[in-house]
Amino acid sequence: MIVDESGPRDNTVPRVRPARPRGTLVRGGSLRARRARTGIALVSPAFALVAVFVLFPLAFAVYISLTDWPLIGPYHFTGGRNYTELIHDPVFLHSVLFTLLYTAIVTGPILVLGYAMAVFVRANWPGSVVFRTVFFLPFIVGLATESFMLLLELQPDSGAIDAVLGKLGLASSSTAWTVHYGLALGAICVFVVWFASGLTMMILMGGMQGVPGELYEAADVDGATWWQKERRITIPMLRRNIALSLIISVIGSFLAFNQFFILTEGGPGTSTEPIVMWIYQEAFVAYHLGYATAGAIALVIVVGIISAAQFYLLRDDADAPRRAGRRR
Amino acid sequence: MTSASAALRAAGRPRARQPRRAGLAVYLIAGTVASVLFVLPLAWGVFRSLLPDTLVTSAPSSADVHHVTFANYTGLIGGGILHYALNSLLVAAMTAAATAVVATLAGYGFARFRFRGSGLVFALVIATLMVPFQALLTPLFLEMHTLRLTNSLLGLALFYTTFNLPFGVFVMRNTFLQIPWELSEQAAVDGAGAGRTLVSVLRPLVVPGIATTVLYAFLFSWTEFVGALTFLTSNDLYTLPLALLNMEYGSVGQVNFGYLEAGAVIAMIPCVVLYVLLQRYYIRGLTSGVVKG
Repeated sequence: MIVDESGPRDNTVPRVRPARPRGTLVRGGSLRARRARTGIALVSPAFALVAVFVLFPLAFAVYISLTDWPLIGPYHFTGGRNYTELIHDPVFLHSVLFTLLYTAIVTGPILVLGYAMAVFVRANWPGSVVFRTVFFLPFIVGLATESFMLLLELQPDSGAIDAVLGKLGLASSSTAWTVHYGLALGAICVFVVWFASGLTMMILMGGMQGVPGELYEAADVDGATWWQKERRITIPMLRRNIALSLIISVIGSFLAFNQFFILTEGGPGTSTEPIVMWIYQEAFVAYHLGYATAGAIALVIVVGIISAAQFYLLRDDADAPRRAGRRR
Repeated sequence: MTSASAALRAAGRPRARQPRRAGLAVYLIAGTVASVLFVLPLAWGVFRSLLPDTLVTSAPSSADVHHVTFANYTGLIGGGILHYALNSLLVAAMTAAATAVVATLAGYGFARFRFRGSGLVFALVIATLMVPFQALLTPLFLEMHTLRLTNSLLGLALFYTTFNLPFGVFVMRNTFLQIPWELSEQAAVDGAGAGRTLVSVLRPLVVPGIATTVLYAFLFSWTEFVGALTFLTSNDLYTLPLALLNMEYGSVGQVNFGYLEAGAVIAMIPCVVLYVLLQRYYIRGLTSGVVKG
């Protein structure tokens, strides 16, 4: 994912390629041609990998989605039939709606909590660095590992969550979290907010550190309250960081898999099955590779559109001169 | 790249007014409470992994602390968990090494050499960020199967390397762009070729960029789940997360939660250690412009 860095990068990293001392070294065409050949040789391994593992599979996916490709045996060209079936498939549609619901639930809390944490650690007081490190730890450990740990704590009667909530009288101590749709979704959402808000914090913190202190000092002179300073200075200056952290968390939610696969297996039934899991099940459990790939193409398009917005935000923008000199 | 750490150091400097003592106390208390919320679940997992299975599967009680044992760990090691840890380590090491080499070469090429199509190829590599590999599992599986790269740790590492390239190439290109152009020109005057210049003149200057790239690639590979699940089918080649999944669903009868918890802790430790030790490089990557979400 691409993250904005508007603040920190601006002045210190040269955006413009350093001027080449013309006429000193790049003289004859032959030297230039040799340099070009060297350049091509240097980037070719990267290009080869991208061609093999990204470009070809993308094109191949379109082709597969137009067939009835099974795992083994011959396949037939079926045109757009997979796609027409897809939009009438209640299981697929449910997985799309479920993914959207899940995304809608977690996105706001991740942003708000991440923002609050960024405000907290940007203070540069004693302990800030330790707090920042700790808040980011869940993201580092990874969803899969933590899902396995959470699985035990969500068990009825033996999990820590039932024990705590039972003590507080908030839930029965034999609540089976992973086998009820609402409970499973709720638990996973809380878990993911805990997991992902550290990333938002890091992205926003980088931007906050690029906001010139003079702006706050000037606001202090004018007697602005804390909230006025946040609303009028920080948030407007962090527009790009906020947009990018949102895009990253939305894409992350669209591609959710680990936590549902490990904690609920998509159950009860297929009620907690997000799109990626639908693709996985359809392809590698039911062996309908063509059909699964048609669903995957839909996902590629949606994620591609959201990512394109990200590129738009990351572009070396024309307003760079305006922002230049923002940091001392 | 130095901008990131410089920014972090400079951060708030102009407005870090000396906190008053009462304010600082409130800050430290609030921060500690919040930290507990983030660390306690992980620390609790470590504690539970030290309990015998009979206690893990019953409601937690304060008497548990008297029964701490390494039985789950010795049992897991006897059951061959180290084999899966080694698989994970091999894949992560191959991914980190391959990403470092390929991204460094490409970053060097994009930053320092002019050739036709340079912009297009760079755009293609970076655009890989827009492609969710989770949606390409079917064509990738069929293609890799044909290339005999499924059920292969090397195949998995190549797949991971590719999806780490946008980040790595972006970081390495920026790293090379920051080195004064004159430095390599000088080496060229002295008769050094592109390779010699890279190895003897530029290397010390790009090491921080490489460290960032390696750290991201390693952690990505170590924690990745769905790709490994799809491309590895032979039990013998499973990485740690798949071995844990096997404990959850593969076993007949009751899940051994003690083992599962201990296995998760084993998977967690390298991440925490690497992150805490190399945090500086990790944050450098986060503020460099591209992040794996």
